[in-house]
Amino acid sequence: MSYKAVIIGGSAGSFQVVTRILNALPVTFPMTVLLCLHRLKHVRSGFVEALSMKSGIPVEEPFDKDILRPGRAYLAPANYHMYVELANRIALSTEDTVNHSRPSIDLSFITAANAYREKLIGIILSGANRDGAMGLKKVHDSRGITIVQDPADCEVKTMTQAALQLTNVDFVYTTDQIINFLVKLR
Amino acid sequence: MPDIGIIEMREIIAAIRSGFNYDFGNYALTSLKQRLEWIMGLYNIDDAPGLIAKLHNDRNYFDVFLHELNVPSTEMFRDPPVWRWLKDEYFRIMASRITEKIRIWLPACVSGGELFSLAILLSEAGMLDKVQIIASCQSNKSIELIRSGFYNLKKMEVSEENYKCLNTNTQLSKYIRPGLNWAFRDTRLIQHVEFNILNINFDNAPKNIRLILFRNSMIYYNFSHQDRILHVMFNALSPSGNILIGIREKISGINTGRDFEFVNETESVYRKRNLS
Repeated sequence: MSYKAVIIGGSAGSFQVVTRILNALPVTFPMTVLLCLHRLKHVRSGFVEALSMKSGIPVEEPFDKDILRPGRAYLAPANYHMYVELANRIALSTEDTVNHSRPSIDLSFITAANAYREKLIGIILSGANRDGAMGLKKVHDSRGITIVQDPADCEVKTMTQAALQLTNVDFVYTTDQIINFLVKLR
Repeated sequence: MPDIGIIEMREIIAAIRSGFNYDFGNYALTSLKQRLEWIMGLYNIDDAPGLIAKLHNDRNYFDVFLHELNVPSTEMFRDPPVWRWLKDEYFRIMASRITEKIRIWLPACVSGGELFSLAILLSEAGMLDKVQIIASCQSNKSIELIRSGFYNLKKMEVSEENYKCLNTNTQLSKYIRPGLNWAFRDTRLIQHVEFNILNINFDNAPKNIRLILFRNSMIYYNFSHQDRILHVMFNALSPSGNILIGIREKISGINTGRDFEFVNETESVYRKRNLS
């Protein structure tokens, strides 16, 4: 089985985890990485730069309709929802907040699952609300791989626990195990 | 929420095309799907035939449907640096050069967030009577709602935060009267605005426009519709006229990419290129 994309959702307490994951990815990483992380609406700049600093692959905030390429990470821009369009492109949206969030992890995961079906890996990290639980279920229902950060390893457990309640996930992993899993993918 | 597939999407698009002569086939598929599912959720409709039946059986509903399908602005003064640029640079320069009424066009109004934000800035600059604002909507319902001044209380807090970033020494509450469940904006701000209905292809667009505010609408179109609409914008603008689009949108079409040039890349402000 060859996967096409990894989508990662995180909120409070996920920044360090995402940084470590990106740091561990080789420049030859063969998949697209989508990052939907809750962030401040007003703060446009700084986040992508901070994530890029130690990342093994380029990280960017996409424009609407940008083509998704393997070996690159795409961070949902502030105050936009980030969808995956069927033709392997980004689609941004300013629709209402979902779970008080824009970007919404659920919407990014649901649209990515529709686009990539079983060739998607969905990962939910530390966070303080329930966003992402519905999205991860959709990844599971589309026969993609589902991973949740071990709540014991999370700074804030709420988001991972909500995801675990809704879906019988494939793996509950610590940050190190998530990294191990990803770097072995071909 | 219902989950409609590609085939059902095509059925809905075809039914609207044949029943109402509106072609949503050039809208971006994923966001159109999200929006249709959201509408179906509002009315407890389970599937595509249910939505098609509602549109067919209640002809008056179509106008409301158009209002619901178009995504309203998220808040007032979204992206404060854009508005700061308009206030401190654009309008300041414009004020010194006014010889006749300046025409400003908002081609895709739904809830009036951008319209009221603009009117407040112009009013504070003492320029409201020196401009002609034209606000176009797809639906009469949108016009009605904007004219009433209705505002969602839920959006107040973030709008106030945005407005504070403009350093105007005024509170946004000067223009918005909060009620129990919703708020009302001061409709005197928009009393001279010219409202009109535009169809999906923007036929009968206005002319001699100095400034177009068209932020975060093209994200809902596919490339060919973007190109068509940008061509309309090009023709609507007077020489060197400006257009503002969303900060994560780009003008990159084969035909339109060379028609516009950047004035301010960070805030997505373009100028109509004068072709020689």
